[in-house]
Amino acid sequence: MDKSTIICRCEEISLEEIEKVISNGARTFDDIKRLTRCGMGPCQSKICNCLVAAAINEKTGTPFHEIPLPRMRMPISPIKLDTLATNSTTFSSVKSVLDEVELEDGKVR
Amino acid sequence: MHIKHHPVLGKKLQNPVTIYFNDQPYTAYEQQTVAAALMANDIKRLGSSRNLVQPRGLFCTRGRCCSCYATVNGENHVRTCMTRVEDGMKIYPNDEDPEVRGESCGD
Amino acid sequence: MKAVETDVLIIGAGPAGLAAAFETASRGLDVTVIDESLSLGGQLIQQTQNLSSLPSDLSPMRGFELAAHLIKQIEEYDIRYLLGHRVIGFYQDGTIGITDEVDVFPVKTKKMIVATGAAENAVAFPKWTLPGVLTIGAAQTLINRDFVKPGNDAVIVGSSDFAMDVALQLSEVGVQVKGIVEKSTGVLSRNTEKVKQVNKIGIPIYVDSSIVEARGMGAVEEIVIKQEDRVFTEKADLVCIDGGRSPILDIFYQLGTSFGFQKELGGWVPQYNKDFQTDCKDVFLAGNAAGVSTQGALVLTGRLAGMNVCEALGAVSKETAAVEKKGLWKELEIVETKYNLDIWHARNRHVDNFTHPVLKDQFIS
Repeated sequence: MDKSTIICRCEEISLEEIEKVISNGARTFDDIKRLTRCGMGPCQSKICNCLVAAAINEKTGTPFHEIPLPRMRMPISPIKLDTLATNSTTFSSVKSVLDEVELEDGKVR
Repeated sequence: MHIKHHPVLGKKLQNPVTIYFNDQPYTAYEQQTVAAALMANDIKRLGSSRNLVQPRGLFCTRGRCCSCYATVNGENHVRTCMTRVEDGMKIYPNDEDPEVRGESCGD
Repeated sequence: MKAVETDVLIIGAGPAGLAAAFETASRGLDVTVIDESLSLGGQLIQQTQNLSSLPSDLSPMRGFELAAHLIKQIEEYDIRYLLGHRVIGFYQDGTIGITDEVDVFPVKTKKMIVATGAAENAVAFPKWTLPGVLTIGAAQTLINRDFVKPGNDAVIVGSSDFAMDVALQLSEVGVQVKGIVEKSTGVLSRNTEKVKQVNKIGIPIYVDSSIVEARGMGAVEEIVIKQEDRVFTEKADLVCIDGGRSPILDIFYQLGTSFGFQKELGGWVPQYNKDFQTDCKDVFLAGNAAGVSTQGALVLTGRLAGMNVCEALGAVSKETAAVEKKGLWKELEIVETKYNLDIWHARNRHVDNFTHPVLKDQFIS
């Protein structure tokens, strides 16, 4: 495939950029994401996930069952902050974003 | 083009509405999504990509790829493949990030 | 705000979700069905082709007819439908966050059946981002659900059974299908009858071929195809990508289930046991999310998941459930071996792997 081919449509990351970080040692989707922004756009890797796995497999020979899934964070699909910051007093949906951070005395541990 | 007579499902397009893309009126039908109705009117380019400014349009029709983002009735980044048309809807392409800094936004 | 408490939350209103809704609601459980779309039926509603491998109690019918049948079946029950709603995530106390696009509200459920289906895989080539390049499912949705002809001249990239179906459907609405481009050395579709029909209406299939690039100003106008040493250009204002499908996993990932890898089932699949129960004990799954298969299998896995939830909540006796489940698994075997033996074998391997999954606790990445 032509190296200029876009793999991540949202952030417009090319195959060349992805192969470069793989040759520098990236082995998982999340490695590649942290180095290139691949998968950090609005679709959150829903489209490029399989293409990146194929690139890792092609370049390193790692079988597909050894290439882990990308991290899938909340919210599952794009949502307006206005909607997320619901006015409810009994249910705070916003805490969800912080669910993955452990707090101790109000500070990140 | 709208399919007026479907070979299996018959005549299904009943209630026409008018939608506006870049202020030009186009005919759509009630059950259609915005992206589909625009495609029926041969409008495929719904926006540009953020870095390389390449044309973008409908891709997955499942609300997953976000390629069909457009501004609908003043709201930015609407997934037009998941939004049904309404009469008088005003649609503009998603050509740049919305202005979030400025007096109107309290910044 | 409309907080909801329910016995069974079914995520996804496609064939599996609707079948599970029938099993659970008909046994008196309080059932809530959520789907992002505004209508029931999932992707069945635009399937105009005949479905070949359905359970024995269903006569052969087209996809949208199966949707209508499954919807009619649950009409008499008092099911709570949250259509046009999305799950945004899960909270540590077990609450599920649901949005109606105006507000986010909590749902608490005793058991959950996740039937989120499968998503189409992309195939990349230079300028595949041009408008007019769609997934093949998108093209089918446009013609059969939205009644929109997405182009005049189409090229299809990929040659699965589904590609053959959509090639025929596109032709029927007046789209000229210029060719089907397959990178493998043979056609992937196992449905020889469909391939014959495609040949008969004069659609060329190029095997051992690939897309060099798409070209166009603002939208796709032509596509360059390479077949062995020959490179040629077709005029096309529609390119349909058929890259196969994979289970949609976001919800399982957030719930923290384990995953196993089965190529024949679409790649990574949430780990589940014979009861279609994941390693989060209140979470069951069904349909393509449990491995991409044929529509008949989607209905059957929905029934199985529903039956197991009924048993877990005491809505059926253990004895009745055992008999029903045995029958359903037998039927699943018949439907799936007839459709594709490899899928049936992969499903059994996957269930056997339940106690030693490949991917576990990957939240720490």
